[in-house]
Amino acid sequence: MEIVLNSSCMGGQQLTPEGYRTIDWYFDKLNGIGIDSITVADPLFVEMLAKDYDMDVVVSVLSFVDSPQKAEFYEQLGATTIVIDPAVNRQFDKLEAIRDAVSCDLKLLVNEACLYQCPFRYAHFNFFSHANGPGPKPNVLDDYYYFKCLSLRINDSQQLIKSPWIRPEDLKEYRHITDTFKIGGRTQFINWILSAVDAYANESYEGNLIDLLDSIKDLKDHFFIPNNELNGAIEQWKRCDKVCHKCGYCKRLAEKIIRVYSQDEDGRRMIPLGSSGDRT
Amino acid sequence: MTIIQDMLKAHGALENKLRELLGIPVFLIEMDAFALPCGCGGITINTRGLQLDDLEVFEEHILKYFTETVTSLEIDPSFLFVRLIPGTSEIASINARMLCSNCYMDFGRGSGKQPRPDIYILRFDRRE
Repeated sequence: MEIVLNSSCMGGQQLTPEGYRTIDWYFDKLNGIGIDSITVADPLFVEMLAKDYDMDVVVSVLSFVDSPQKAEFYEQLGATTIVIDPAVNRQFDKLEAIRDAVSCDLKLLVNEACLYQCPFRYAHFNFFSHANGPGPKPNVLDDYYYFKCLSLRINDSQQLIKSPWIRPEDLKEYRHITDTFKIGGRTQFINWILSAVDAYANESYEGNLIDLLDSIKDLKDHFFIPNNELNGAIEQWKRCDKVCHKCGYCKRLAEKIIRVYSQDEDGRRMIPLGSSGDRT
Repeated sequence: MTIIQDMLKAHGALENKLRELLGIPVFLIEMDAFALPCGCGGITINTRGLQLDDLEVFEEHILKYFTETVTSLEIDPSFLFVRLIPGTSEIASINARMLCSNCYMDFGRGSGKQPRPDIYILRFDRRE
Protein backbone atom coordinates (compact mmCIF):
# COMPACT_ATOMS: atom_id res chain seq x y z
CA MET A 1 0.00 0.00 0.00
CA GLU A 2 1.20 3.47 -0.88
CA ILE A 3 0.30 6.60 1.10
CA VAL A 4 0.28 10.03 -0.52
CA LEU A 5 1.58 12.89 1.59
CA ASN A 6 2.50 15.32 -1.11
CA SER A 7 1.36 18.81 -0.23
CA SER A 8 3.49 21.27 -2.10
CA CYS A 9 3.39 23.69 0.82
CA MET A 10 3.38 22.88 4.51
CA GLY A 11 3.56 26.50 5.53
CA GLY A 12 6.87 25.91 7.29
CA GLN A 13 5.19 23.76 9.97
CA GLN A 14 7.45 20.85 9.09
CA LEU A 15 10.42 22.88 10.28
CA THR A 16 9.02 23.67 13.72
CA PRO A 17 9.81 21.32 16.63
CA GLU A 18 6.12 20.44 17.00
CA GLY A 19 5.63 19.97 13.28
CA TYR A 20 8.71 17.82 12.93
CA ARG A 21 7.67 15.62 15.85
CA THR A 22 4.13 15.22 14.49
CA ILE A 23 5.35 14.20 11.06
CA ASP A 24 7.97 11.85 12.48
CA TRP A 25 5.29 10.30 14.71
CA TYR A 26 3.03 9.86 11.68
CA PHE A 27 5.78 8.24 9.61
CA ASP A 28 6.46 5.91 12.52
CA LYS A 29 2.80 4.89 12.69
CA LEU A 30 2.64 4.30 8.94
CA ASN A 31 5.78 2.22 9.11
CA GLY A 32 4.32 0.27 12.01
CA ILE A 33 1.19 -0.75 10.14
CA GLY A 34 3.17 -2.01 7.17
CA ILE A 35 2.82 0.73 4.59
CA ASP A 36 5.03 -0.11 1.62
CA SER A 37 5.75 3.35 0.26
CA ILE A 38 5.03 7.01 0.79
CA THR A 39 4.78 9.67 -1.88
CA VAL A 40 6.12 13.00 -0.69
CA ALA A 41 6.93 16.34 -2.27
CA ASP A 42 9.13 17.98 0.34
CA PRO A 43 12.85 17.09 0.12
CA LEU A 44 12.97 17.06 3.93
CA PHE A 45 10.50 14.19 3.99
CA VAL A 46 12.46 12.31 1.36
CA GLU A 47 15.53 12.46 3.55
CA MET A 48 13.69 11.70 6.80
CA LEU A 49 12.02 8.65 5.31
CA ALA A 50 15.14 7.34 3.61
CA LYS A 51 17.25 7.75 6.73
CA ASP A 52 14.98 6.33 9.40
CA TYR A 53 12.40 4.04 7.83
CA ASP A 54 12.07 0.96 5.68
CA MET A 55 9.31 2.31 3.47
CA ASP A 56 10.01 3.13 -0.15
CA VAL A 57 10.18 6.85 -0.87
CA VAL A 58 8.37 8.10 -3.95
CA VAL A 59 9.17 11.64 -5.02
CA SER A 60 5.91 13.24 -6.02
CA VAL A 61 5.10 14.91 -9.28
CA LEU A 62 4.77 18.00 -7.07
CA SER A 63 8.53 18.01 -6.56
CA PHE A 64 8.63 19.06 -10.23
CA VAL A 65 11.56 16.88 -11.27
CA ASP A 66 12.15 18.01 -14.83
CA SER A 67 15.91 17.59 -15.28
CA PRO A 68 18.64 15.02 -14.72
CA GLN A 69 20.21 17.32 -12.14
CA LYS A 70 17.08 17.46 -10.01
CA ALA A 71 16.57 13.72 -10.39
CA GLU A 72 20.14 13.09 -9.16
CA PHE A 73 19.51 15.37 -6.20
CA TYR A 74 16.45 13.42 -5.12
CA GLU A 75 18.12 10.08 -5.69
CA GLN A 76 20.99 11.18 -3.46
CA LEU A 77 18.46 12.18 -0.80
CA GLY A 78 17.13 8.63 -0.86
CA ALA A 79 14.35 8.42 -3.43
CA THR A 80 13.31 4.93 -4.46
CA THR A 81 11.08 6.24 -7.25
CA ILE A 82 10.69 9.61 -8.93
CA VAL A 83 7.50 10.74 -10.63
CA ILE A 84 8.71 13.00 -13.40
CA ASP A 85 7.14 16.42 -13.92
CA PRO A 86 4.72 15.98 -16.85
CA ALA A 87 6.00 19.26 -18.26
CA VAL A 88 8.74 17.17 -19.91
CA ASN A 89 6.49 14.33 -21.06
CA ARG A 90 7.11 15.33 -24.67
CA GLN A 91 10.78 16.24 -24.30
CA PHE A 92 12.38 12.91 -24.98
CA ASP A 93 15.93 14.24 -24.69
CA LYS A 94 15.15 15.33 -21.12
CA LEU A 95 13.44 12.06 -20.28
CA GLU A 96 16.34 10.06 -21.66
CA ALA A 97 18.84 12.22 -19.75
CA ILE A 98 16.92 11.65 -16.52
CA ARG A 99 16.84 7.91 -17.23
CA ASP A 100 20.60 7.92 -17.79
CA ALA A 101 21.35 10.03 -14.72
CA VAL A 102 19.65 7.94 -12.04
CA SER A 103 19.19 4.29 -11.25
CA CYS A 104 16.02 4.63 -9.17
CA ASP A 105 12.62 3.81 -10.62
CA LEU A 106 10.81 6.41 -12.71
CA LYS A 107 7.11 6.98 -13.17
CA LEU A 108 5.34 9.05 -15.79
CA LEU A 109 2.03 10.74 -15.03
CA VAL A 110 0.06 10.28 -18.22
CA ASN A 111 -3.21 12.16 -17.86
CA GLU A 112 -2.78 15.14 -15.55
CA ALA A 113 -3.35 17.45 -18.53
CA CYS A 114 -2.32 20.69 -16.89
CA LEU A 115 -1.41 23.54 -19.23
CA TYR A 116 2.04 23.22 -20.77
CA GLN A 117 4.32 25.56 -18.79
CA CYS A 118 1.33 26.53 -16.67
CA PRO A 119 1.93 29.87 -14.97
CA PHE A 120 -0.44 28.92 -12.16
CA ARG A 121 1.08 25.56 -11.34
CA TYR A 122 2.95 26.39 -8.14
CA ALA A 123 0.38 28.84 -6.80
CA HIS A 124 -2.48 26.45 -7.54
CA PHE A 125 -0.91 23.46 -5.82
CA ASN A 126 0.09 25.61 -2.85
CA PHE A 127 -3.52 26.75 -2.64
CA PHE A 128 -4.68 23.10 -2.70
CA SER A 129 -2.23 22.30 0.07
CA HIS A 130 -3.77 24.88 2.35
CA ALA A 131 -7.37 24.37 1.24
CA ASN A 132 -7.19 20.62 1.92
CA GLY A 133 -4.61 20.53 4.68
CA PRO A 134 -4.87 21.30 8.38
CA GLY A 135 -6.58 24.56 9.34
CA PRO A 136 -6.98 27.41 9.30
CA LYS A 137 -8.51 26.89 5.86
CA PRO A 138 -8.70 29.88 3.52
CA ASN A 139 -12.22 31.15 2.96
CA VAL A 140 -11.87 31.61 -0.79
CA LEU A 141 -14.41 33.12 -3.15
CA ASP A 142 -13.38 31.27 -6.29
CA ASP A 143 -10.54 29.08 -7.46
CA TYR A 144 -8.99 31.76 -9.66
CA TYR A 145 -6.37 29.40 -11.06
CA TYR A 146 -8.92 26.87 -12.23
CA PHE A 147 -11.06 29.55 -13.85
CA LYS A 148 -8.02 30.80 -15.75
CA CYS A 149 -7.00 27.26 -16.64
CA LEU A 150 -10.32 26.59 -18.37
CA SER A 151 -10.67 30.08 -19.77
CA LEU A 152 -7.25 29.94 -21.44
CA ARG A 153 -8.19 26.69 -23.17
CA ILE A 154 -11.57 28.00 -24.32
CA ASN A 155 -9.96 31.12 -25.72
CA ASP A 156 -6.96 29.31 -27.23
CA SER A 157 -7.79 25.71 -28.06
CA GLN A 158 -4.22 24.76 -29.01
CA GLN A 159 -3.60 24.64 -25.24
CA LEU A 160 -5.67 21.46 -25.20
CA ILE A 161 -3.20 19.82 -27.55
CA LYS A 162 -0.01 21.31 -26.11
CA SER A 163 -0.90 20.05 -22.66
CA PRO A 164 1.59 17.20 -22.11
CA TRP A 165 -0.75 14.25 -21.74
CA ILE A 166 0.28 10.86 -23.06
CA ARG A 167 -2.28 8.92 -25.07
CA PRO A 168 -2.85 5.24 -24.19
CA GLU A 169 -1.66 4.31 -27.69
CA ASP A 170 1.64 6.14 -27.18
CA LEU A 171 2.79 4.40 -24.00
CA LYS A 172 5.01 2.14 -26.11
CA GLU A 173 7.06 5.17 -27.12
CA TYR A 174 8.12 5.56 -23.48
CA ARG A 175 9.15 1.99 -22.73
CA HIS A 176 12.84 2.84 -22.86
CA ILE A 177 12.26 5.42 -20.11
CA THR A 178 10.01 3.40 -17.82
CA ASP A 179 7.30 0.78 -17.73
CA THR A 180 5.49 2.42 -14.81
CA PHE A 181 2.74 4.84 -15.69
CA LYS A 182 0.68 6.75 -13.18
CA ILE A 183 -2.95 7.56 -13.93
CA GLY A 184 -4.15 10.66 -12.11
CA GLY A 185 -7.74 11.08 -10.95
CA ARG A 186 -8.22 9.68 -7.47
CA THR A 187 -11.00 12.22 -6.79
CA GLN A 188 -13.03 11.06 -9.81
CA PHE A 189 -15.91 8.58 -9.78
CA ILE A 190 -15.02 4.88 -9.69
CA ASN A 191 -16.41 4.36 -13.21
CA TRP A 192 -14.15 7.07 -14.54
CA ILE A 193 -11.13 5.52 -12.83
CA LEU A 194 -11.96 2.06 -14.19
CA SER A 195 -12.43 3.44 -17.67
CA ALA A 196 -9.09 5.26 -17.55
CA VAL A 197 -7.29 2.19 -16.21
CA ASP A 198 -8.89 0.08 -18.92
CA ALA A 199 -7.80 2.48 -21.66
CA TYR A 200 -4.20 2.68 -20.47
CA ALA A 201 -3.94 -1.03 -19.68
CA ASN A 202 -5.14 -1.87 -23.19
CA GLU A 203 -3.19 1.03 -24.72
CA SER A 204 -6.24 1.96 -26.72
CA TYR A 205 -9.20 4.34 -26.44
CA GLU A 206 -12.00 5.13 -28.83
CA GLY A 207 -13.70 8.43 -28.17
CA ASN A 208 -13.08 11.82 -26.65
CA LEU A 209 -9.57 12.06 -25.23
CA ILE A 210 -10.85 14.51 -22.61
CA ASP A 211 -12.74 11.60 -21.06
CA LEU A 212 -9.37 10.34 -19.83
CA LEU A 213 -7.87 13.64 -18.69
CA ASP A 214 -7.96 14.46 -15.01
CA SER A 215 -7.63 18.20 -14.52
CA ILE A 216 -10.08 19.39 -17.16
CA LYS A 217 -13.01 17.07 -16.63
CA ASP A 218 -15.34 20.07 -16.71
CA LEU A 219 -14.56 20.48 -20.42
CA LYS A 220 -15.56 16.97 -21.47
CA ASP A 221 -19.05 18.13 -22.37
CA HIS A 222 -17.68 21.13 -24.20
CA PHE A 223 -14.84 19.96 -26.43
CA PHE A 224 -14.46 16.73 -28.35
CA ILE A 225 -10.91 15.64 -29.12
CA PRO A 226 -11.16 12.50 -31.25
CA ASN A 227 -8.41 10.32 -29.87
CA ASN A 228 -7.97 8.32 -33.05
CA GLU A 229 -7.24 11.50 -35.01
CA LEU A 230 -4.17 12.03 -32.84
CA ASN A 231 -2.49 8.93 -34.26
CA GLY A 232 1.02 9.83 -35.34
CA ALA A 233 1.21 13.19 -33.57
CA ILE A 234 3.75 11.67 -31.20
CA GLU A 235 6.25 11.56 -34.08
CA GLN A 236 6.13 15.35 -34.26
CA TRP A 237 6.36 15.72 -30.50
CA LYS A 238 9.38 13.40 -30.37
CA ARG A 239 11.33 15.96 -32.36
CA CYS A 240 9.58 19.02 -30.94
CA ASP A 241 11.89 21.85 -29.88
CA LYS A 242 9.13 23.66 -27.95
CA VAL A 243 9.28 26.90 -29.88
CA CYS A 244 5.54 27.01 -30.40
CA HIS A 245 5.26 30.43 -32.00
CA LYS A 246 7.54 29.29 -34.84
CA CYS A 247 6.22 25.77 -35.23
CA GLY A 248 2.43 26.01 -34.93
CA TYR A 249 1.90 22.26 -35.23
CA CYS A 250 -0.36 21.95 -32.19
CA LYS A 251 -2.38 25.00 -33.22
CA ARG A 252 -2.98 23.57 -36.66
CA LEU A 253 -3.84 20.18 -35.22
CA ALA A 254 -6.31 21.74 -32.78
CA GLU A 255 -8.03 23.64 -35.56
CA LYS A 256 -8.22 20.51 -37.66
CA ILE A 257 -9.57 17.97 -35.21
CA ILE A 258 -11.20 19.59 -32.17
CA ARG A 259 -14.94 19.91 -32.22
CA VAL A 260 -17.28 21.77 -29.91
CA TYR A 261 -20.55 20.49 -28.51
CA SER A 262 -23.49 22.71 -29.32
CA GLN A 263 -27.06 22.51 -28.06
CA ASP A 264 -29.95 23.58 -30.23
CA GLU A 265 -33.60 22.66 -30.66
CA ASP A 266 -32.66 19.43 -32.42
CA GLY A 267 -30.52 18.37 -29.50
CA ARG A 268 -26.82 18.14 -28.86
CA ARG A 269 -24.43 18.00 -31.78
CA MET A 270 -20.78 18.58 -32.57
CA ILE A 271 -19.58 21.47 -34.67
CA PRO A 272 -16.08 22.24 -35.94
CA LEU A 273 -14.02 24.45 -33.67
CA GLY A 274 -13.66 27.13 -36.33
CA SER A 275 -17.39 27.77 -36.47
CA SER A 276 -17.27 29.30 -33.03
CA GLY A 277 -13.95 30.98 -33.54
CA ASP A 278 -10.57 31.23 -31.94
CA ARG A 279 -9.01 34.37 -30.60
CA THR A 280 -5.43 33.54 -31.38
CA MET B 1 -42.66 21.93 -21.53
CA THR B 2 -41.29 21.46 -18.04
CA ILE B 3 -39.14 24.08 -16.38
CA ILE B 4 -36.12 21.84 -16.97
CA GLN B 5 -36.82 21.63 -20.70
CA ASP B 6 -37.28 25.39 -20.81
CA MET B 7 -33.98 25.89 -19.07
CA LEU B 8 -32.14 23.48 -21.34
CA LYS B 9 -33.51 25.27 -24.39
CA ALA B 10 -32.67 28.70 -22.99
CA HIS B 11 -29.18 27.54 -22.03
CA GLY B 12 -28.39 26.25 -25.52
CA ALA B 13 -29.83 29.31 -27.23
CA LEU B 14 -27.86 31.77 -25.11
CA GLU B 15 -24.64 29.80 -25.45
CA ASN B 16 -24.96 29.71 -29.22
CA LYS B 17 -25.70 33.44 -29.45
CA LEU B 18 -22.69 34.33 -27.29
CA ARG B 19 -20.43 32.09 -29.36
CA GLU B 20 -21.60 33.68 -32.58
CA LEU B 21 -21.22 37.16 -31.17
CA LEU B 22 -17.78 36.73 -29.64
CA GLY B 23 -16.20 34.24 -32.02
CA ILE B 24 -15.05 31.92 -29.26
CA PRO B 25 -16.63 28.75 -27.90
CA VAL B 26 -17.89 30.35 -24.69
CA PHE B 27 -18.99 27.64 -22.29
CA LEU B 28 -22.08 28.03 -20.11
CA ILE B 29 -21.16 25.35 -17.68
CA GLU B 30 -24.36 25.31 -15.62
CA MET B 31 -27.69 27.12 -15.39
CA ASP B 32 -29.37 27.10 -11.99
CA ALA B 33 -32.68 28.50 -10.81
CA PHE B 34 -32.68 29.68 -7.20
CA ALA B 35 -35.10 30.80 -4.52
CA LEU B 36 -33.66 32.42 -1.42
CA PRO B 37 -35.21 32.55 2.05
CA CYS B 38 -35.35 36.34 1.91
CA GLY B 39 -37.70 36.22 -1.07
CA CYS B 40 -35.25 36.80 -3.91
CA GLY B 41 -35.32 34.39 -6.83
CA GLY B 42 -33.79 34.04 -10.26
CA ILE B 43 -31.20 32.20 -12.29
CA THR B 44 -27.43 31.91 -12.25
CA ILE B 45 -25.50 30.81 -15.32
CA ASN B 46 -21.93 29.78 -14.55
CA THR B 47 -19.62 30.66 -17.39
CA ARG B 48 -16.15 29.75 -18.58
CA GLY B 49 -14.23 31.67 -21.22
CA LEU B 50 -16.26 34.87 -20.96
CA GLN B 51 -14.33 37.96 -19.94
CA LEU B 52 -15.08 41.49 -18.83
CA ASP B 53 -13.50 42.86 -22.00
CA ASP B 54 -16.15 40.98 -24.00
CA LEU B 55 -18.84 42.54 -21.91
CA GLU B 56 -17.49 46.05 -22.19
CA VAL B 57 -17.31 45.82 -25.97
CA PHE B 58 -20.55 43.93 -26.57
CA GLU B 59 -22.59 44.92 -23.54
CA GLU B 60 -25.58 46.06 -25.59
CA HIS B 61 -25.79 42.74 -27.42
CA ILE B 62 -25.12 40.59 -24.37
CA LEU B 63 -27.72 42.48 -22.37
CA LYS B 64 -30.25 41.94 -25.15
CA TYR B 65 -29.52 38.21 -25.36
CA PHE B 66 -29.62 37.74 -21.62
CA THR B 67 -32.87 39.70 -21.32
CA GLU B 68 -34.40 37.40 -23.95
CA THR B 69 -33.15 34.37 -22.02
CA VAL B 70 -34.59 35.37 -18.67
CA THR B 71 -37.83 36.61 -20.20
CA SER B 72 -38.28 33.23 -21.89
CA LEU B 73 -38.08 31.71 -18.42
CA GLU B 74 -40.72 34.12 -17.10
CA ILE B 75 -38.22 35.96 -14.94
CA ASP B 76 -38.51 39.72 -14.63
CA PRO B 77 -35.26 41.11 -16.13
CA SER B 78 -35.16 44.09 -13.77
CA PHE B 79 -31.81 43.20 -12.20
CA LEU B 80 -29.18 41.57 -14.39
CA PHE B 81 -25.53 41.34 -13.47
CA VAL B 82 -22.40 39.31 -13.90
CA ARG B 83 -20.20 38.07 -11.11
CA LEU B 84 -16.48 38.57 -11.58
CA ILE B 85 -13.53 36.93 -9.95
CA PRO B 86 -12.36 40.03 -8.04
CA GLY B 87 -9.25 41.64 -9.41
CA THR B 88 -9.47 39.79 -12.73
CA SER B 89 -11.35 40.02 -16.00
CA GLU B 90 -12.83 36.55 -15.60
CA ILE B 91 -16.62 36.39 -15.52
CA ALA B 92 -17.74 33.60 -13.20
CA SER B 93 -21.47 33.83 -13.82
CA ILE B 94 -24.32 35.76 -15.41
CA ASN B 95 -27.23 36.35 -13.08
CA ALA B 96 -30.84 37.49 -13.09
CA ARG B 97 -32.29 38.19 -9.69
CA MET B 98 -35.78 39.28 -8.79
CA LEU B 99 -34.97 41.19 -5.64
CA CYS B 100 -36.99 41.09 -2.46
CA SER B 101 -37.64 44.47 -0.88
CA ASN B 102 -34.77 44.19 1.61
CA CYS B 103 -32.18 43.14 -0.97
CA TYR B 104 -33.49 45.78 -3.33
CA MET B 105 -32.62 48.39 -0.73
CA ASP B 106 -29.09 46.98 -0.38
CA PHE B 107 -28.44 47.18 -4.10
CA GLY B 108 -30.46 50.38 -4.52
CA ARG B 109 -28.17 52.31 -2.20
CA GLY B 110 -25.16 51.57 -4.39
CA SER B 111 -24.27 53.39 -7.54
CA GLY B 112 -22.31 52.74 -10.72
CA LYS B 113 -21.76 49.54 -12.68
CA GLN B 114 -19.54 47.97 -10.04
CA PRO B 115 -20.94 48.50 -6.56
CA ARG B 116 -18.75 45.63 -5.36
CA PRO B 117 -15.48 44.27 -6.81
CA ASP B 118 -17.20 41.04 -7.79
CA ILE B 119 -20.32 42.50 -9.40
CA TYR B 120 -20.80 44.24 -12.73
CA ILE B 121 -24.37 45.40 -13.27
CA LEU B 122 -25.91 45.07 -16.70
CA ARG B 123 -29.34 46.33 -15.76
CA PHE B 124 -30.95 47.64 -12.59
CA ASP B 125 -34.46 49.04 -12.79
CA ARG B 126 -35.07 51.43 -9.94
CA ARG B 127 -38.43 51.19 -8.27
CA GLU B 128 -40.73 54.17 -7.73
